Amino acid sequence: MDTERPIQLLSSTESLCPVCLKRLQAVREQQGDTVFLVKQCSEHGTVRTPIWRGALPFSTWLRPKKPSAPRQAFSAIKDGCPFDCGLCPNHGQHTCTALLEITGRCNLRCPVCFADAGDQAPETDPSLVQIGMWYDRVMAASGPCNIQLSGGEPTMRADLAQIVRLGRDKGFDFIQLNTNGLRLAEQPGLSGELKAAGLASVFLQFDGLSRHTHLALRGRDLRESKELAIRRCVEAGLAVVLVPTLVPGINTHEIGAIIDYGVRFAPTVRGVHFQPISYFGRYPQPPADADRLTLPEVLLLIEAQTDGAVRADHCAPPACEHALCSFHGNFFIDAAGRLTPLGSGRAACCSTGETPAAIPTALEGREKSVRFTARQWSLPMADSACNCAGQPAPPQDDFDRFLARARTHTFTLSAMAFQDVWNLDLERLRGCCIHVVAPDGRLVPFCAYNLTSNQGRPLHRRPVRP
Amino acid sequence: MSTFSFAEATAWQCAGCNRPLEPAEVKVTYLNSVFTVELMVCPGCGFVLVPESLAVGKMLEVEQLLEDK
Repeated sequence: MDTERPIQLLSSTESLCPVCLKRLQAVREQQGDTVFLVKQCSEHGTVRTPIWRGALPFSTWLRPKKPSAPRQAFSAIKDGCPFDCGLCPNHGQHTCTALLEITGRCNLRCPVCFADAGDQAPETDPSLVQIGMWYDRVMAASGPCNIQLSGGEPTMRADLAQIVRLGRDKGFDFIQLNTNGLRLAEQPGLSGELKAAGLASVFLQFDGLSRHTHLALRGRDLRESKELAIRRCVEAGLAVVLVPTLVPGINTHEIGAIIDYGVRFAPTVRGVHFQPISYFGRYPQPPADADRLTLPEVLLLIEAQTDGAVRADHCAPPACEHALCSFHGNFFIDAAGRLTPLGSGRAACCSTGETPAAIPTALEGREKSVRFTARQWSLPMADSACNCAGQPAPPQDDFDRFLARARTHTFTLSAMAFQDVWNLDLERLRGCCIHVVAPDGRLVPFCAYNLTSNQGRPLHRRPVRP
Repeated sequence: MSTFSFAEATAWQCAGCNRPLEPAEVKVTYLNSVFTVELMVCPGCGFVLVPESLAVGKMLEVEQLLEDK
């Protein structure tokens, strides 16, 4: 530890001991340009984990919301956060995106898997009846929201289109498939079948453009499969979001190239959503500080690798989840393929001097986010300014000229920092809007659901029963 | 440069200046973007009439595309 520079205590929160998962008081403290989450277990000692690094001031990254409790809580308050998840009545945000893990099976064996997926038998998959119950529970807890079908690898299921259709019939308009894309590439009819069933969008694992990155993160060179999967989505009219897992020293130098690649496939590719690696599973030694990547570091890497076309201040903290969980920016792709910012970036939302009355509710931010995500991560409608002969009408004024391009060529850059047992901040967790539906129908914040102790002991996830 | 005009004969007059509106080029600004369109404007005070069809049509669509979450 750097003992020369003074430490400034910023604020307090709660966390868990990485070893025994006991709830602990924690503080956020700053030293130089790094903010650490620090906590001490009387039995297992002190843990100090970087949560914010770089020139972007931590103190300016704010987006307060008034907490808003679930419509219907499925668990009671007994042991406190994060042990009562279900959601409990003290949870501060509604579901923006519900994750349904429709299989534990997978056709890859990635060392960086959240879900610890593997080669379970098909009989372990949840039935359509059970998945129907999950959809109903999401609707009861939070109302219409975005759905992500996840796993495992959801394309392992032969009845995937039925699962999509079931969700649409239950009233969910935006359904996204979280996939590695291999089956989309291998089965030419699959993307069209899913589109016909009502799928809107593919959340495509996409870690980079180099062979080395693929081998390091997925154990196989998947470059051709990824591109073929995207082309199948182009043919089917399915939107795609590229989702790189960012690992320091492996693929952080490819951020700019991934963005360029995505833009080349616009409007099918709607944006890039970066996920800095978090550490689940067995880690007897805490991950090294150098093995972490914080949100401001991702922003600065984007800035550096897009030759300044995208600047950190074009991106803003989220309206829906806790400010420290993500950033996003909305861009226009001009005719030359260059990104220019739309909206006002941080200036639009980062005011720090709101009166308490002016702070929006979490529900307002959630509504905004559900709408924006569903629109931006779906494929836009075909040009609505067509004449009867089927030819697009010529642009008429500045609004038309803008709309003619922006209806299709908007592009988002975003990142979400998932929490693991070392950097877990219960204030963030209570503001979480990404909820996994547990097998019994409880809704559990994503990071709590995947959290494990340093020995790999899960907090909420239960092993698949044979 | 705008090539299409929203300016059209209207019965509206500027209440403050008591003058009929005239077509004029107007810059519409929203979240750092500027659009030039022709609208009916009071030649005295510059008050602009935005027709309802424009406000709830194209202008709304432009707003939505510019707005972030």
